[in-house]
Amino acid sequence: MADDKEPKPPSPEPPARAAGEGAAVPPAAKPEAAKPAAPPAAPAPPAAGAAPPAASAPAPPAPPKADPLKEPVPSRAIDLMRQALPDALLEVTYHAGQALVRVPPLRLLEVLRFLRDHADLRFDYLSNLTGMHWPKKERPLEVVYHLYSIPRRHRLTVKIDLAEGEAAPSVTGLWPTADWHEREAFDLFGIGFAGHPDLRRILMPDEWSGHPLRKEYPLEGNPGDHVQYRDVGTAEHVYRYDKAAIRGFGWKKEVEKTGTGKG
Amino acid sequence: MFRTEEMEINMGPQHPSTHGVLRLVLQLDGEEIRAMRPVIGYLHRGVEKLCEHRTFPMIEPLTDRLDYVAAISENLGYCGAVEKLMGVQVPPRAQYIRVVLAELQRIASHLLWLGTHALDLGAMTVFFYTFREREIILDLFESFCGARLTYNSMRIGGLYEDVPRGWFDRVRHFLKIFPGRMQEYEDLLTVNRIFVGRTKGVGFLSAEDAVAWGVSGPPLRASGVNYDVRKAIPYSSYEDFEFDVPLGAHGDTYDRYLVRMEEMRQCCRILRQALDRMPDGEVRAKVPKYIKPPAGEIYHVVESPRGEQGFYIVATGGEMPYRMRFRAPSFVNTQALPMLCRGRLMADVVAIIGSIDIVLGDCDR
Repeated sequence: MADDKEPKPPSPEPPARAAGEGAAVPPAAKPEAAKPAAPPAAPAPPAAGAAPPAASAPAPPAPPKADPLKEPVPSRAIDLMRQALPDALLEVTYHAGQALVRVPPLRLLEVLRFLRDHADLRFDYLSNLTGMHWPKKERPLEVVYHLYSIPRRHRLTVKIDLAEGEAAPSVTGLWPTADWHEREAFDLFGIGFAGHPDLRRILMPDEWSGHPLRKEYPLEGNPGDHVQYRDVGTAEHVYRYDKAAIRGFGWKKEVEKTGTGKG
Repeated sequence: MFRTEEMEINMGPQHPSTHGVLRLVLQLDGEEIRAMRPVIGYLHRGVEKLCEHRTFPMIEPLTDRLDYVAAISENLGYCGAVEKLMGVQVPPRAQYIRVVLAELQRIASHLLWLGTHALDLGAMTVFFYTFREREIILDLFESFCGARLTYNSMRIGGLYEDVPRGWFDRVRHFLKIFPGRMQEYEDLLTVNRIFVGRTKGVGFLSAEDAVAWGVSGPPLRASGVNYDVRKAIPYSSYEDFEFDVPLGAHGDTYDRYLVRMEEMRQCCRILRQALDRMPDGEVRAKVPKYIKPPAGEIYHVVESPRGEQGFYIVATGGEMPYRMRFRAPSFVNTQALPMLCRGRLMADVVAIIGSIDIVLGDCDR
């Protein structure tokens, strides 16, 4: 199709067609549609000036092709936050219709209080709070807050990231339910929460060392961890048993990586 | 001589009425509870850590073992979360069958709760009656997927197989006999003076406290807060069905009992509608053989018999999740126990724990 038009120097038309096709056909066909438009520009010097900008014109619509899952959804919460606290929004992302806001840790309480108390938002229900560990990032720890509003029926995810050893502000003052969630994040990730009334381990034994959900923590625990809690045979015996069981599952690589036991 | 100091005693982790390995450290003044400290973690199996080392389809059997009393709700929530993450549309027939399974599961779970709750309060008979009906449901599940407790009944993208021939008729038969059986339980408990005396006005939970403490499920609705995930954020085509969300007026143990009883009737309503309108067609969407969701994260919530069951998955484009978090309703509801028990008598603790209906496998993960 584009070959018929090739000899014609008047450039506006072919790129316009290419742009039209690019918008109509599925994204996969787009690179092909854009390519034939470019070659005619090379033999005809006068059109060369016009063609490159025209060829680059179809490029901007390319980002929307990205992923239907990442498409933004209208969110009253984000609109209002943009108005009231524009500098607190570091990043807004979407996945499958769910909005996620990243805020600076120092402004977390201010943002959450705004979300909870604003008459149009009323996020009165802290559905979930959890931590995350990204060892390769500069600020490796994250705390995620999943908010829900019972009267308004909408959801929002708020995230902060923390440097190693930095404490997140505790939100127990806003939602008492955060108490155990924060204890769990402390227990499993070693994230501190400043202002928490009673920050102790919750799921692991009190005298446990290490934080199991950190990525460097081996799946089967550190050597010696089991000794006082499992009295079936020696520790060596327990490791050998686990290793055999996991090998049978086809997870040999995993065992070698974590490297617990030698037997 | 009187000794008037307060006493600290342990209830659990092996106390028969704590429904698992829940330990409550009670501070008592005579028989009155001054303070309570729940201690959990005795059943912590590190499922979230384990999930980071399993592929997505391999995680579903693990979800069975969280809330082992209502495994199908966990399956439904987990599969729904992964499907949302991948943008997969489940065929309508599979969605409807999932609703049938989930509602049968809700009835089975409430029946288990009813039997044990009444047993804790000294009414032995109800236990035998409810287990008789629960048995019918477990038989239905067994003929559907071969298991009676940990079902692994769904697959990402739909179901493994359609239901066996005649299965819907058996569900209809159950729906025919169940309302009469419900009447039997009600006759035994609803106006039973001992039961009412043990539960009415006990373990009061106000609506504000319930929301602030994140309580969900029947305890939240018994306090008069209208929040049912099936209505608020419908999933698996719950928006197609007509049903009421029963609400309580006082937020005491007796209201929590009434709400669950009414919920079982509403389950029957949903089941009848689902069976009547059951669509034909495939039961599994086209999903790739190796499931690798795109990088992103999702928080998917379903209404399990115990409350708001959340699934938070962070994927980085691999075949295993980077992070998997289960928002367990039992975990959050247990947190409200000290508030419910303060100032009550020791014997009321048993009634209150029963009315919160926690499963420690869900709580400790």
